[in-house]
Amino acid sequence: MIEKYAEIIGENELDALFKISEKLKGVSVLHVNSTQKGGGVAEILNKLVPIMNELGIKTDWKVIRGDNEFFSVTKSFHNALQNGKGNLDNDNFAIYKKWQEINSTEVPLDYDVIFVHDPQPAGLVEKKGKQKWIWRCHIDISNPYPPVWDFLKNYIQKYDSMIVSSPVFGRSDINVPQFVVPPAIDPLSVKNREISSFTIERILRKFDVDPGRPLITQISRFDRAKDPQGVITAFKGLKKHIDAQLVYLGSPASDDPEGEIVYEETLKAAEGVKDVHLLLLPPDSDLEVNAFQRGASVVMQKSIKEGFGLTVSEAMWKGKAVIGGNTGGIPLQILHGYTGYLVNTPEEATHYLIYLLRNDEIRERIGRLAKEHVRNNFLITRELRDYLMVILLTMGKSG
Amino acid sequence: MTKISDNKARNRFEFYAAYYPQIYAGKKAYTVDELIEGIKNVDGFSIFYHVFHPVFSSHAIPLDVHNDFAFWIREQLHDESLAYKVSDVEGGEPRTVEQVRDDILKILETSTNKVRAEKPFHFITCRPVIFNTMKVASSIDEFIDVLSSITMRSIVYHFVFRRVMGYAPRNDFSLWLQQEFNAAELADALSKIDPQTYTNEESLRKDILIKISKVIYS
Repeated sequence: MIEKYAEIIGENELDALFKISEKLKGVSVLHVNSTQKGGGVAEILNKLVPIMNELGIKTDWKVIRGDNEFFSVTKSFHNALQNGKGNLDNDNFAIYKKWQEINSTEVPLDYDVIFVHDPQPAGLVEKKGKQKWIWRCHIDISNPYPPVWDFLKNYIQKYDSMIVSSPVFGRSDINVPQFVVPPAIDPLSVKNREISSFTIERILRKFDVDPGRPLITQISRFDRAKDPQGVITAFKGLKKHIDAQLVYLGSPASDDPEGEIVYEETLKAAEGVKDVHLLLLPPDSDLEVNAFQRGASVVMQKSIKEGFGLTVSEAMWKGKAVIGGNTGGIPLQILHGYTGYLVNTPEEATHYLIYLLRNDEIRERIGRLAKEHVRNNFLITRELRDYLMVILLTMGKSG
Repeated sequence: MTKISDNKARNRFEFYAAYYPQIYAGKKAYTVDELIEGIKNVDGFSIFYHVFHPVFSSHAIPLDVHNDFAFWIREQLHDESLAYKVSDVEGGEPRTVEQVRDDILKILETSTNKVRAEKPFHFITCRPVIFNTMKVASSIDEFIDVLSSITMRSIVYHFVFRRVMGYAPRNDFSLWLQQEFNAAELADALSKIDPQTYTNEESLRKDILIKISKVIYS
């Protein structure tokens, strides 16, 4: 399977991956996260784990358990860490601790390296033995709500190293080595590989979208951090000038109980606006996502808070000009004016939507540069190589 | 010279290569003064990362500025004059990151810019992860063939990293050519290439090969 990437990244890059992985022969790795499906973390682990095994590194993946109460608490953690605001009390922290205890009896520890993804399972480090523990943080922790960060920090300081997605998220209040590893997309997945124009058209029509008129797409969960209401506002502004359509496609995730509420809020905001399609599809609707990104004239990711925003790279890989929120990891992907446009308000988004829809050549040039930028920096093979190097450096085996 | 290119070396050249995983350096700067403070205090790997690592096209900066410091000064402090001076700092032999650091500090210390950036400069450092490519050269002919196709991760490691980090007094290619073939003219020609102003690794490969061909076929 790994050889299939050669035609995308080149023989030299693939060869480097094999050479680096040879240094890890005999090392065993466990990834731990909180959901099997939905969201970027599960998606990347679904690919990384088999590839690491293929490279000869024994790798397993364990998903922790939790009830609705636990996932409500961890969602509040998530919001408090990303937004700098929160309302959590000792009862919430007790619920978190209770589930760390429960899970610690179920997570096997006989590995050399344990990768823990995001805050939900971070407390498992209390059971640390001779393994090397690496905390992989996928969210923006640059301006966290202090009580939640202080609580979490007690765990993080017990790790041997941690990974953030952007240098912007680096913390100067902890001594753990902080590697910077942006996440990545899989160009061979159903979501990202080439599909026929017939398939694109068929899927657009299936959801009553007219393939003959400009289409704006945003793919993201119904989460306030993704600013669905801002997307509707930006689209309303565009509609005054161009007869376009909007598809906002989201999927529920088992660790995000807020999704339904935000979906209802977005429905309300879109009331009376023509040509808005709010689609709530199952998490495995990869072909539909692919079709709506490829069928789009312009893709938006108008987040106001973002860990990284893999949907940006997904669209850029498809040669699309993307208008992204100027936050989190999006500026790593969108170099303003070169590989897309960064915006801070719905009005700015409207401006660039009009600009891009009126100028085919600019849209195409930006799309070409965007694709090359993703090829160089945001494909799964690069992320895998970075993970292998983080393991090597954490184990003191770099040279 | 054609004869020399056929000669066999006593010690063959083994090509290694490296990637440089990024590590947050724990410092950021909003002003020229804070940038000066940061540059003074980060380790040499950080200077390598911000000044020489942009040779890789994966290290994205616009083509008309050559290092991260210059890009940030232009984008965030809106000071093109200062940005271009920092952009064009000399990185050729025998300079190391320490001399480059001093040169950048001297340029910044003359600045009167008092702008406070909207977005800070985040200092990154790195550590090399080195691997053996298993490619070797025993003659200048073989050396040229390998250089033509090997990963640029190898060329930058031998030609830039080891020299600017002070692990070798000169780039590894020139050292080997001089030591094994007494090819002083060729070694010196390569030594004259300043890698600091490259923002595309294939341009660097092309220029190295042009220098070699000019000496060999002159």
